[in-house]
Amino acid sequence: MSIRISAPDTASKNEVIELKALIQHPMETGYRRNNRGEIIERDIITTFECTYDGDTVFQARFHPGIAANPFLTFYTRATKSGTLEFRWTDQNGQSWAETHSLTVK
Amino acid sequence: MRVVLGCAMSIWLAACQPDDAYQFASDVEVEGDAIVRSLEGKAGNAERGLTVFTDRDQGHCVLCHAIEGLDVEFQGDVGPPLTHLGDRLTEGQIRMRIAGAQKIWPETVMPSYYRKHGLNRVGREYLGEPALSAQQIEDLVAYLSSPKA
Amino acid sequence: MKWLAPVITVFTLAAACAPAPTADETREKLPASDLTSGYKFLQADTQALQDDDFANPGFLWVDRGRALFAAAPQQSKACAACHGEDGAELKGAAAHYPSVDETTGKLTNIEGRINLCRTRHQGLEPLDYETDDLLSLTAFVSHLSRGEPVKVDVSGPAEVWYRRGEDYFFTRRGQYNLACNQCHNDNWGRQLRGDTISQGHGTAFPGYRFEWQSLGSLQRRLRDCDAGVRAEPLAYGSDDYLAVELYLAKRAEGLPIEVPGVRR
Repeated sequence: MSIRISAPDTASKNEVIELKALIQHPMETGYRRNNRGEIIERDIITTFECTYDGDTVFQARFHPGIAANPFLTFYTRATKSGTLEFRWTDQNGQSWAETHSLTVK
Repeated sequence: MRVVLGCAMSIWLAACQPDDAYQFASDVEVEGDAIVRSLEGKAGNAERGLTVFTDRDQGHCVLCHAIEGLDVEFQGDVGPPLTHLGDRLTEGQIRMRIAGAQKIWPETVMPSYYRKHGLNRVGREYLGEPALSAQQIEDLVAYLSSPKA
Repeated sequence: MKWLAPVITVFTLAAACAPAPTADETREKLPASDLTSGYKFLQADTQALQDDDFANPGFLWVDRGRALFAAAPQQSKACAACHGEDGAELKGAAAHYPSVDETTGKLTNIEGRINLCRTRHQGLEPLDYETDDLLSLTAFVSHLSRGEPVKVDVSGPAEVWYRRGEDYFFTRRGQYNLACNQCHNDNWGRQLRGDTISQGHGTAFPGYRFEWQSLGSLQRRLRDCDAGVRAEPLAYGSDDYLAVELYLAKRAEGLPIEVPGVRR
């Protein structure tokens, strides 16, 4: 699954940093019908979580109203050097994640 | 031999109907730039006509045409505004412009909404029917000729 | 000889009854000074999204294409093996497509070229239009020409395709009986409700359309155009659409490739 993360490689201690996360996903609502009039089954990501050395710094619940290929921008404070993990989980429990190393001076 | 040719000629003549019948979804009499009689004898209703004019699933005329005072967001300007059209055109002229504008102006962008024949590669879901029914067109004529438009 | 008169009459009547031509015989072209990308008809937010090299959703396919380009499929070589790391040798190539393939003699677009490479040089099966893999590879290769002005050859073997595309462009079709030129040459800049009619260039494709909530090919857009005038869309990869791609490229000559574009 194509994922794009934007996060700084380095930051000063206590600096507020901007994080962006984009994932390719159809976010099929479950309300659309195909040419034969049959409902196209729901297929959505249901949760997103960003952890910073294991601590949750951002969490979101996605519902069918969220557009395909969802894009999030959020902020956190750079406290210590560590690993940021960005994880998406879908309605069936399948998840995708990427990590980013942050060095805090 | 002459009988065969005579038959062939009759078949050709039958196939080559006059332009009006060939194009429209039902028998229509064109007088100049107007169709004087209502299509299929239907009676138009101006209130329904307003819906046909604005509804995405019906005429959706507002895609290209604007009417001053019409409470609808974003009205198109590909075609001329139709405000107070009844002041400028007769019902018959309005009817002709909706049903078969291309008969008056062959180069126009305005689709002929009552045309059924002589079209090129019509989508399968639209085959066999004109874009608008006689009732919808009569409703539009009623709405556009009314003082409310 | 008496039978000749009715025969002549029949043929004259037949000729008189032939349907009127649907093509616009004057075929006026867009003045070169008027050439405007569809980008100019977008709202500011949409333009900003196309310009954002991180957030532009089309890059999800470009990224994937970059990865596919570098990966060697089983028992075969990677695209990069011939075309350079990260497609270095393909920079600018997409701006000259579609073009006639020397071996098949057929007009070929980027999708077709990728499939020719797969079958001829990699021993792989061709990919279908609108599959993630083909979209990604097409997006990646086209993106290597971003900013490059379109320049195509319509002479020699390409000319018959160019003429065919031009015919298609000027022919009315569908229940609404409209030809491409009527909106995109004659009425660009005018409003269809909230949308401004563009000139109908293909320079942003493959591109991300909000209506699709996905990246899609130029041929997907052409099918939508046909559906929009209530005409039956042609099959993906059809000769008519290939010809139209060439005609559109020549018509857009000088405009830069924008892949991945963002459109409505």
